Amino acid sequence: MVGNLDILAIAPEIALTAAVVVLLLVEVNFDPHPRVWGGIAGVGIVAATVLSVFQWVEWSGGSGELAFSGMITGDGFSAMAGMVVFPLAGLSLMSGWRLVTEMRRRGAEMVSLLLLAAAGAHLMAASANLIMLFIALEVFSISLYVLAGFTRSRADADEAALKYFLLGAFASAVFLYGVALLFAATGSLSIYGDPTIYEAGARGIIRADAGIAAFLDSTIILEPGLLLAGIALLIVGLGFKVTAAPFHVWSPDVYQGAPGGITGFLAASAKVAGFAALARVLTVALGANIADWAPAVAVIAAVSIVLGTLLALAQTDIKLMLAYSSVAHAGFILTSLVAGPAGVAGMWFYVATYAVSVVAAFGVAAIVSGHTMGRSPLSSYEGLARRSPFLAAVLGITMLSMAGIPLTTGFVGKLAVFTAAADAGYLWLVILALVASVAGLYFYLRVIVLMYFRPTSDDAITPRVDWSSGIALGIATLATVLIGVVPWWLLNLLNDALPF
Amino acid sequence: MTVTPGWYMALAAVLFTIGASGILLRRNALVMFMSVELMLNAVNLTFVAAGRNLNVLDGQVSVFFVMVVAAAEVVVGLAIIVAVFRRRQTASVDELSEMRG
Repeated sequence: MVGNLDILAIAPEIALTAAVVVLLLVEVNFDPHPRVWGGIAGVGIVAATVLSVFQWVEWSGGSGELAFSGMITGDGFSAMAGMVVFPLAGLSLMSGWRLVTEMRRRGAEMVSLLLLAAAGAHLMAASANLIMLFIALEVFSISLYVLAGFTRSRADADEAALKYFLLGAFASAVFLYGVALLFAATGSLSIYGDPTIYEAGARGIIRADAGIAAFLDSTIILEPGLLLAGIALLIVGLGFKVTAAPFHVWSPDVYQGAPGGITGFLAASAKVAGFAALARVLTVALGANIADWAPAVAVIAAVSIVLGTLLALAQTDIKLMLAYSSVAHAGFILTSLVAGPAGVAGMWFYVATYAVSVVAAFGVAAIVSGHTMGRSPLSSYEGLARRSPFLAAVLGITMLSMAGIPLTTGFVGKLAVFTAAADAGYLWLVILALVASVAGLYFYLRVIVLMYFRPTSDDAITPRVDWSSGIALGIATLATVLIGVVPWWLLNLLNDALPF
Repeated sequence: MTVTPGWYMALAAVLFTIGASGILLRRNALVMFMSVELMLNAVNLTFVAAGRNLNVLDGQVSVFFVMVVAAAEVVVGLAIIVAVFRRRQTASVDELSEMRG
């Protein structure tokens, strides 16, 4: 029996992997100017984005399909993931381009790893099978472990890579054990199930793999211990990747130790891919058990919001501040998931716009404190507005958006996720999140005060903005403001980005 | 007494716990990495036992994927550990304390 082999479902991955192969072959054989790498990578990213748009046209609004024996889904959800992740990879590559050229020939490896990570991130959102999801997660994570320690010449970079690797591998193992227990409890690894697949069991029993959701819908599990343990471990494993507290301990060190030019992508893509995977598994495969997992997700969200906000208040390094604020943002995004499928559109809006802000913020940090460097103390931002009005404006708008000030995307995103959670009856969580948002104003506005109302110290250097970073930061800022002012079209669009 | 798949799953749970404690308690990067491998193998045992129990082939097939991915992880992980060891002549994570997040 031949299943559905719709190439369109994996076309973006094919485009990116082809670009990687061409890039590495060209680099090895001709040793060209870095501009050639950029050209090949750019073609790959643009092709992947365009193919995601084709996917969107084909499948948005609930008319999805399963391809490759129920391994990959083609639906609005996966298309939207592509339309978010691939442009993000492009923006990150542009803002980190100086790092790539400074790495000389190793820069080509760096571009390749970034493209592979983007492919893995999209695959995570498109997986229709938990083992497929695990493989996609590892393609994504292993590329990022290498990227985190790419500047080997600096001592804290290999420290960051080792910490990221050990804790990431631990999280992957926890996630995988969750998958195994879910399999033991339901007899299926399929998020959707495919009634067309019939398997002959060892004793000649023909059985349709109807998928986890169908099994849970039609079966009363009297001893749900395995199932509940599996769900818990799944949430913990993916919680590590999206830096939800208390599984966030790696993120401050990694964000601070990783080479500045790449940190934005590290932070943004992990959020997008992790939340996409979490949303699909929780709302589709475990949708019938929302009463089991929603309270746990709500507690993790609350802990992330409180812990992230409190720890961000105490930081004196902007990358550490952004790391802890990303823990709080993970909590805000989790807030939307307690509403089940009703919260997915809000989650998309928040995670996509937050990812753009994070790339912009780390992009500015990379320019101010160096593309290969890790640390970025807040004192070096004093009087930045006088030294570089452009960078100060970008960082200022980004901070306003992260704080959730009206007329930026951050405000609309918070509104969307809080509305979803309140409608689902989690009013205590919304009130807690609102209080934390107000407390968060302190550390976001502190950066703006430092940049605009403090004198520059005498030995401060004037940061030089290269043109590719400038364009990337400009696009990110423009998107933050424009979508913040007129968000309706995007919110309407995202209503078609639900898992089918 | 027959050994049913349930016993194997219990054994796997014990192995997984040993691996997880190893990550949390040991301080040598190599030993921590071995603990991760122990956890992955506990998962493999769970997959095989559950697949046998349910009479579904998915469990056994999954093990192959897990092994391949684990091998890929070893390549990157050992490279990172070697890079750290060359710089510091130690693989103890206690020495890695330049950053305090």
